[in-house]
Amino acid sequence: MLTLEQKREVEEFLYREAFLLDEMRFDEWLDMLSEDIEYTMPLREHLQGDVEPAGHPIIKDDKLMLTMRAKKHETGLSHVEIPRSLTEHIVTNILIEDGDNPTELRVYSNFLVRQARKLRDEAWWAGRRKDVLRREDGGWKIARREVLLDSIVLPRGITIFF
Amino acid sequence: MVSVSELREVVNWREGLISPSVLFDEELYREEQMKVFEKAWLVVGHEDMLRKPGDYVTNYMGEVPVVVSRDMEGELHVLVNRCVHRGNEVCLFDRGNARAFTCSYHGWTYEISGKLIGVPMEKELYRDEIDHDSWGLEQARVASYKGLIFATFDQSAPGLEEWLGEDGCWWLRNYVLVEHLGGLEALPGMHRYSTPGNWKHLAENFIGDDYHVFAATHVSWFKVMQEFMEKGYEMRRIDSSVARTRRYEVTTGYLKGCPIGFGNVTMDPAAHEHDLAMAQKLGPDVVEWVQYRRRQYEEVMKEYELAPYSFMNGAIFPNLGLMGFFSPMAGRHFLLFHPRGVKEMEQWQWTMVEKEAPPIVKEVAAEYVYRGQHMAGTIAPDDVENQERIVEAMRAPRNWRKPHNYRLQLGHEEEAPQGIPGQVGPNPSEINQRNFYRFWLELMEA
Repeated sequence: MLTLEQKREVEEFLYREAFLLDEMRFDEWLDMLSEDIEYTMPLREHLQGDVEPAGHPIIKDDKLMLTMRAKKHETGLSHVEIPRSLTEHIVTNILIEDGDNPTELRVYSNFLVRQARKLRDEAWWAGRRKDVLRREDGGWKIARREVLLDSIVLPRGITIFF
Repeated sequence: MVSVSELREVVNWREGLISPSVLFDEELYREEQMKVFEKAWLVVGHEDMLRKPGDYVTNYMGEVPVVVSRDMEGELHVLVNRCVHRGNEVCLFDRGNARAFTCSYHGWTYEISGKLIGVPMEKELYRDEIDHDSWGLEQARVASYKGLIFATFDQSAPGLEEWLGEDGCWWLRNYVLVEHLGGLEALPGMHRYSTPGNWKHLAENFIGDDYHVFAATHVSWFKVMQEFMEKGYEMRRIDSSVARTRRYEVTTGYLKGCPIGFGNVTMDPAAHEHDLAMAQKLGPDVVEWVQYRRRQYEEVMKEYELAPYSFMNGAIFPNLGLMGFFSPMAGRHFLLFHPRGVKEMEQWQWTMVEKEAPPIVKEVAAEYVYRGQHMAGTIAPDDVENQERIVEAMRAPRNWRKPHNYRLQLGHEEEAPQGIPGQVGPNPSEINQRNFYRFWLELMEA
């Protein structure tokens, strides 16, 4: 059973993360991820009857790939982020459970993200996250993240982090 | 607004001067739904998506929702997803396995083959007077070429192989659908996203716009990859130096018939060497497979002095894009550009891998696709960004008056070694875009 203090610490960690993403401080955000992070976003589909699950995800990244995504937008040539998107990550419904071992926690959260591009283009992203947080060097790191977007046909291409 | 009788003047493909109104004019868009999407053979899927009787996937033909199914006898059908009684959609899933579809409105039930098999209270209310044969789901004409399924609403259209042309078939068979290597396997699931812009924006981008790739649109990703590779990061990626070998544009249906284009075609033996080097990192079974492929190609291509090795991008008129990524290790990627109004489209994409490829190759191929030419990839969203900007800049009809410039390599179309099926030309070029609009105009004027 988590103490209120621990619960507050995890919640603050997720709010801090959202803050860094909205401030576009990606180096600091990357520091919140463990070196062996698995960041996945499965394909959502409406399936009927006995058929195979999706054979490829929307995202399945390791830390190197996440870093390269962030660095792409720092080249000054990444048109999809020129000018930079404005984002607001609203993170709620945080639930915390014990993890597979004493250094880890399972953390569930819901999110609503609004992304604004240029003058008028926008996208609303809603979904849930299933994270594994791990205690490392006296702080928390995100060791696993599964992002379940509630979209079948996505409203636009994805160039931001959830 | 441009009328169809004026189209010839504004679509001057011979001179490479084409009015942007073809991409923005509402009336032309409505006309195009009839003249192009009701007439052409359209790709709707691949047979490997439908392995068992009862399997189906949903898709679109133009703006028409369809169900592509395999019936209990193994026959393929392309059914219009619309109850013939009141027009309700009968299939609500993206894919599945079913015996029948029942309409939610009055309960009319159709077999997976489209046949009407049930009408609630039929005897009492209709006195058994419904002719089941004429009240089934509407069926499009269907044909498949080496596994790739096409459908058309035009019962008088030429046969599929005649439509694709002998040269087109040669390219599709040997470099996309790889009949001689046992064919392709579909990774289940369709990736889909909305995109601003006319569907032809992306169709023309895939059929021939290799100019944008290295000139501006995608340079940020190449730069980051280069930086990380120089830092010594090991990446399971295809060595992009293949892109520095001599490349060509290929056109089939040049000046006649259905345009199919391939871009960044490489014929350089270096491409094979690159794959071999990559294979050595992945394991001995991969080396063996790469060498086996090489031998198979040598056999199939023995009558040609210079044979292609791979291509990067391509398209089949009107709305199927293809990615070959320079290497069979990167899989084959299929993209449909579905119209959703004159300035809105959806991209529906799926990935295939060579059936006989080792498991690690299939994994790398899938990874290559979702990290690149995909809705969350590092390539495709930059293409879409261009379209978003074009839509904003072209909102006002006065901006449609000056034709766009499609003159790249005009008059130099044949300056490349010939001898294989299709017209081989220099790269980059806009021959394939000109040829695309040549056929589009023909259909619109028909």
